[in-house]
Amino acid sequence: MELLGTVVVLTIKSLIFILVMFLGAAYLTLLERKFAGHVQQRPGPLHVGPHGLLQPIADALKVLTKEDLVPDSVDKFLFYLASLMAFVPAIMILAVVPFGDPFTVFGVEIKPYITDLNIGVLLALAFGSISLYGVIFAGWASNSKYPMIGSLRKAAVLIGYEVALGFAMVGPIMMAGSFSLREIVEAQQNIWFIIPNILAFVVIIFCILAETGRTPFDVQEAEAELVGGYITEYTGMKFGLFPLAEWYIATFVLSAITVILFFGGWNPLPLMGWLPIPAIVWFFVKVFLLFMFFLWVHWTLPRYRVDQITELAWKVMLPLALANILVVAIWIMIFG
Amino acid sequence: MELTITAFWVFSALAVLSAVGVVFFRNIIYAVLSLISALVMISGLFFAMGAELIGALQIIIYAVAIVVFYVLVISTVPEFKGKAFESKYILISLPVGFLIFLELAFVSLYGAWKSNTGIFTPEVISEVSNVKAVATVLFTKYLFPFEVASLILLVAMIGSIIIGKKDHVIDEEAKS
Repeated sequence: MELLGTVVVLTIKSLIFILVMFLGAAYLTLLERKFAGHVQQRPGPLHVGPHGLLQPIADALKVLTKEDLVPDSVDKFLFYLASLMAFVPAIMILAVVPFGDPFTVFGVEIKPYITDLNIGVLLALAFGSISLYGVIFAGWASNSKYPMIGSLRKAAVLIGYEVALGFAMVGPIMMAGSFSLREIVEAQQNIWFIIPNILAFVVIIFCILAETGRTPFDVQEAEAELVGGYITEYTGMKFGLFPLAEWYIATFVLSAITVILFFGGWNPLPLMGWLPIPAIVWFFVKVFLLFMFFLWVHWTLPRYRVDQITELAWKVMLPLALANILVVAIWIMIFG
Repeated sequence: MELTITAFWVFSALAVLSAVGVVFFRNIIYAVLSLISALVMISGLFFAMGAELIGALQIIIYAVAIVVFYVLVISTVPEFKGKAFESKYILISLPVGFLIFLELAFVSLYGAWKSNTGIFTPEVISEVSNVKAVATVLFTKYLFPFEVASLILLVAMIGSIIIGKKDHVIDEEAKS
């Protein structure tokens, strides 16, 4: 009976996480469109609801009610599966990301995370890299040139930056002596890991931009060359799942992991611990700032060429990540 | 406890089904898809047994890092589509496959027998966690084989770079 209780509680908790993430992602689209509008000196969505506030709901209704076209010569099963394979792993990373320490409300202990595995970082990396198959299969199943080129470009980018991302995560793991994301946060109560790990932080910023296909690295759907990249043949909700997974959920979750690894997670800012602000608010403020940084980069910079991107990955980012491991090792030997 | 057993049966059934799919799908991209599925299910088996480090590494290394290159090659070479097997290879593949099966069976039986004799009993593992147990053994007792393995990988890498290198690239567009 106790087993059944655990399963039910876990299911309800996962459902809450996923639903909140969906709603959050919907409003992140509004945030991005507003931000992009103001960057380009136009107002952004304005007419649905007060100041465009209901735009995400209108968008969702539109995407859901659109006719679901499937081109004749596609591989139907893979075509459907690919959109899910890109989306599901992105949301599965949520299972290992903690949003705060356990706290008590009305005598009930609430744990703001689904699981606390002691290999959380590795599992997040694994789920993140599995979404690569969604991209490749989407390109192959579409049976068309632009999606194929787009998915191969994206695969080349992802393979390069996944390696650098893995090596950049080693620094904070070495300092905390644990793979558990919660223990990494607890190890940063005195000093944030950004201090000796600044190189790894630079690498991670580039990796997240590349993995989520944001602008300096958005070769996979360079609209001037490839129409829409691997989402060219998709329509309706299947079309909506790709940007939802990449631009919003993956960016948000990877920002959360970066905050946990480098900016002290839900620890308050230095010298501001006396303020009556709950830990979870600190956490979301930091994640929000980092997310806005990615939006800022996305809507400001022009695009790299494909060869420049892979060169950057293997010749700059990977050596930087390795150098960071050396720096951290020396730091640990000196300061213990 | 019951949950672990249920998970074991579900994951192993799906793993066997996917492995059958790898062999019998005529479309090679579906075969690769079932290979990915089989590898992920095996990682689920590791998780069900409490070896979560190996489970995560199984996904990262086998299900993604290695198979992604199969997928890339297969999806860029369209001639493979529909030519799943040619009968002239069956004669050679049956004895070779049987030999590999014998070797794997020997290794896994030997491993199952040998794993009871090490210093890492389940109690020790739950005390120090999987990561530390693996790292301790890897960087003390098995340091030399570990380094040799990395050297072999380096040799393979250099070899593939030399094979894949072109002396000069002919620019077709510039010629015409």
